[in-house]
Amino acid sequence: MSTKSVEFLVRRTPELGMDGRPVQVPVLPDGMVPELHGEHMLINIGPQHPATHGVLRLVLELDGETVVKCTPHIGYLHSSFEKLGEYRTWNQVIPLTDRMDYLAPLIYNCAYAMAVEKLMGIEVTERCKVVRVICMELDRIFSHLLWVGTTAIDIGAFTVFLYTFQERERIYDLHEAFTGARITTSSTRIGGMMADLPSGWIEALRDFVDTLPKTLDETEALLTRNNLWVGRNKDIGVISGADALDWGLTGPNLRASGVAYDIRRDRPYYDYDSYDFDVVTGEQGDCYDRYLVRMEEMRQSLRILDQAIRRLPGGPINVGDPRLILPGKTDLMSDMESMIHHFKVVMEGVKAPADESWFSVESSKGELGMYVVSDGGSKPVRWRVRGPSFINLSALPKMVEGHLLSDVIAINASIDIVLGEIDR
Amino acid sequence: MAIGVRVVRAPEANTSYFRASLQGMALTFRHLVRPHKPVLQYPDVKPELAPRWRGTHRMAVHADGRPKCVACGLCPTICPSNCIRLVPGEDDQGNRYPVVYEIDEFRCIFCGMCQEVCPVEAIHVGQDYENAEFTRERFVYDLDRLMAQDHPVTALWDPEDPLGQ
Ligand code: SF4
Ligand code: SF4
Repeated sequence: MSTKSVEFLVRRTPELGMDGRPVQVPVLPDGMVPELHGEHMLINIGPQHPATHGVLRLVLELDGETVVKCTPHIGYLHSSFEKLGEYRTWNQVIPLTDRMDYLAPLIYNCAYAMAVEKLMGIEVTERCKVVRVICMELDRIFSHLLWVGTTAIDIGAFTVFLYTFQERERIYDLHEAFTGARITTSSTRIGGMMADLPSGWIEALRDFVDTLPKTLDETEALLTRNNLWVGRNKDIGVISGADALDWGLTGPNLRASGVAYDIRRDRPYYDYDSYDFDVVTGEQGDCYDRYLVRMEEMRQSLRILDQAIRRLPGGPINVGDPRLILPGKTDLMSDMESMIHHFKVVMEGVKAPADESWFSVESSKGELGMYVVSDGGSKPVRWRVRGPSFINLSALPKMVEGHLLSDVIAINASIDIVLGEIDR
Repeated sequence: MAIGVRVVRAPEANTSYFRASLQGMALTFRHLVRPHKPVLQYPDVKPELAPRWRGTHRMAVHADGRPKCVACGLCPTICPSNCIRLVPGEDDQGNRYPVVYEIDEFRCIFCGMCQEVCPVEAIHVGQDYENAEFTRERFVYDLDRLMAQDHPVTALWDPEDPLGQ
């Protein structure tokens, strides 16, 4: 058979096999016309599509308007963070972490610092613990607010986006006042934070905590009992609790299916067990429950923030170990010994014992695990991130199959992915 | 137990098109008559930066016009994106000074670690963000350009402020 005739036997649109690779499907011989309703259509959503929340490409096989098969393609935002981390000292990795999940940068900063501190056996100060809890809860709200706004836009409710983004702007301002940057916070250091809270910050945070419920109420007034919203979300993308566990879902997606799994409660860190809050779960596991769970989680985060502000102790924010923490600038100028420590820490980097450690926190999107391996030097030998979005995305095909094309957008929005972390 | 479990339930009844639309309109109308104006008419109105803002670099200068940098080599070592090029030199009194000191603002991620490690308060990140250029070469700031910057510097790692260290 000549090459030309082989080409004729192959369909133009690539079909994808089980492994995601294109397979060549021969067309029917002349004269045989396939039945029209049996013809499946392949379409691409993305990678450059606002509803994919980044650069995600979904290849959908449609039967009419019903999705038969969905294959997510990732990697368009690949930045090789984990490999880059192997060429950076422990502290230099921190700027990489907040670029992964740029919707909740402080959580990633803190999680990485915690993993390394566990590796080195460092106990951070009480003040640092509470400050990090504040940071993490603030960014949980930060991420959920974005989620509500953009999901509402995807589904067609524009106003919510404007209201939630005004609130996000205030969190940006808090980031800016604390760390000097709006997204790329790089706020932690091994053994503490880059700086203490500036004066007036807690008051600004208190003001935010007091006034956010108004916006949440407004959002709920616009959405919760709105039949358009309910109709687009209810019974869409249902995943049962058992299935959700099998697919490894975590975070609000898992809790919406009725499984009360929250690392803050089940493997508490930073005295989370001494705060009063509720683990929020849903019942149906559909898009609507995921919305309700996230809205309620913001209120629970506000409760935690409120308690954290009240218990914020004084004292130093960094551990007092000159092998880890750079001396303050005033000491550095006046004290020769501090100067020597300073040069040693910067030139040699912080040393970690040859060991490995795993630390997982509850990020806004699910269980965020950080795994670091050290050979005793000042750089990680391996740094691995268990990203919640990556694993939540893997359950997307399971959720969308059998639904209509327009529901794909709602479901994809409802699982709350961030591509920076998926592609890493 | 301090940590409870709360099950959120979807409302069974009382969902409607008509009432919800009216409620929504009432809400947006309230925002219309009591507007909170978050839009900034940039570039006519510039945002107010936080004192800790980390932006374009600035090199501190001695009273006699020499850069404060003593070419210790700490900032090129710590820089996570390897964007500082330093060639140290020594003058006839044995003082070290930078012969070449360049920062590629294009590669820089404005982490501020260079200022954090500088032992003599020489390099600073500053409260400036409008550093766009037309060519890539212009993004490499040499020593003269760094010294000529005149924006205020960040309040982080300022010896005067114990909270920022
Ligand atoms: S701010 Fe960070 S990336 Fe930029 S020059 Fe300084 S150390 Fe390097
Ligand atoms: S750390 Fe400061 S003194 Fe040392 S080379 Fe850099 S700018 Fe110069």
